[in-house]
Amino acid sequence: MDFDPSANRVVGTARVSGGGPKKAPVPVKIIVAGGFGVGKTTTVGAISEISPLTTEAEMTSESVGIDNPGQAVLKTNTTVAMDFGVLTIDQTLKLYIFGTPGQTRFAFMWDDLVRGALGALVVVDTNRIDDCYPAVDYFERQGLPFVVGINTFNGEMSYSIDEVRWALAVREDVPVISFDARFRASVRDALLVVLDQALDKAIRMQS
Amino acid sequence: MTRPDPDEPVPPAPGVRPFLQSGPQHSTGGYTPTGENPPVEASTHKLRPFVITAGRTDGGDPDIGMETQVTLVPGAPPSRLSPETRAIVSLCEESPISVAEISARLRLHLGVTRILVGDLRAAGQLDVHVLDNDTPDPDTIMRVIRGLRSIS
Repeated sequence: MDFDPSANRVVGTARVSGGGPKKAPVPVKIIVAGGFGVGKTTTVGAISEISPLTTEAEMTSESVGIDNPGQAVLKTNTTVAMDFGVLTIDQTLKLYIFGTPGQTRFAFMWDDLVRGALGALVVVDTNRIDDCYPAVDYFERQGLPFVVGINTFNGEMSYSIDEVRWALAVREDVPVISFDARFRASVRDALLVVLDQALDKAIRMQS
Repeated sequence: MTRPDPDEPVPPAPGVRPFLQSGPQHSTGGYTPTGENPPVEASTHKLRPFVITAGRTDGGDPDIGMETQVTLVPGAPPSRLSPETRAIVSLCEESPISVAEISARLRLHLGVTRILVGDLRAAGQLDVHVLDNDTPDPDTIMRVIRGLRSIS
């Protein structure tokens, strides 16, 4: 089957218009991770041009048997709901923002999710800082550029940025910032910090 | 009976059961599609995902990511499609769409969507735009940065 991709005419019953279905934009993605209820969906919704969609996906979780100590690591498949949004950069480039849950007790097998991702924003609620540990661990192991974003949705933080940095013990070069997930400009700025990290890494990889 | 005819248009199944969720309870290898009488579930009015995928639970082609763009093959020969695959094809008619969006809009489990999209690609119905190089390059990142900066 040889079709002229530039054909702008009726082919069979399907109309192929110029720049139509045949031409697909390049997708890029950023991960928004964090514990339950920290504002991941709010973050995604604030920046997305569509209302966030939800997809159900598999995650393999490893739990060392707490009920059965001494047992090998148990791998189970858990289905999690993932919210995501889209931002069209231009006709040939689309940014996807995937919000993904990160419960404790699960070691993440997010390989599918993270493959090809530009970077991640780890959303932190200062009242429950430890909820984000699994995500931080995971991104560190993967070498994925990430930024810790403290969601100040109550207009207040129980701990200062320095205290959060100390608690997380992230590397010097990992930015810890505060942002408000409800505001588009604030989310945009947080994502720009992630992209800055991503750019640094991409340039390092090239040279 | 309560099990729907596969040719009957099945509405996109909300709350479709994840095909591997109950893995540990069926450690003998899970269900096999050959069994005539799969255990009756509390809600039998929905097709279980492994039925939609004819028993395949491997999650499909790993090259097909959530953000991977899918388009219709122009002038693809008509083909006998299941309700689910027909729904996927019609979603792709408008404009390129990602696998994640297909999954969300049809309320199909992501793993199921991936398998079906792979089938449709193999059947010549869909183009799946797998990127040759999934490591982000600085130019692309710069474009994203400029694009984000321009929104307010």
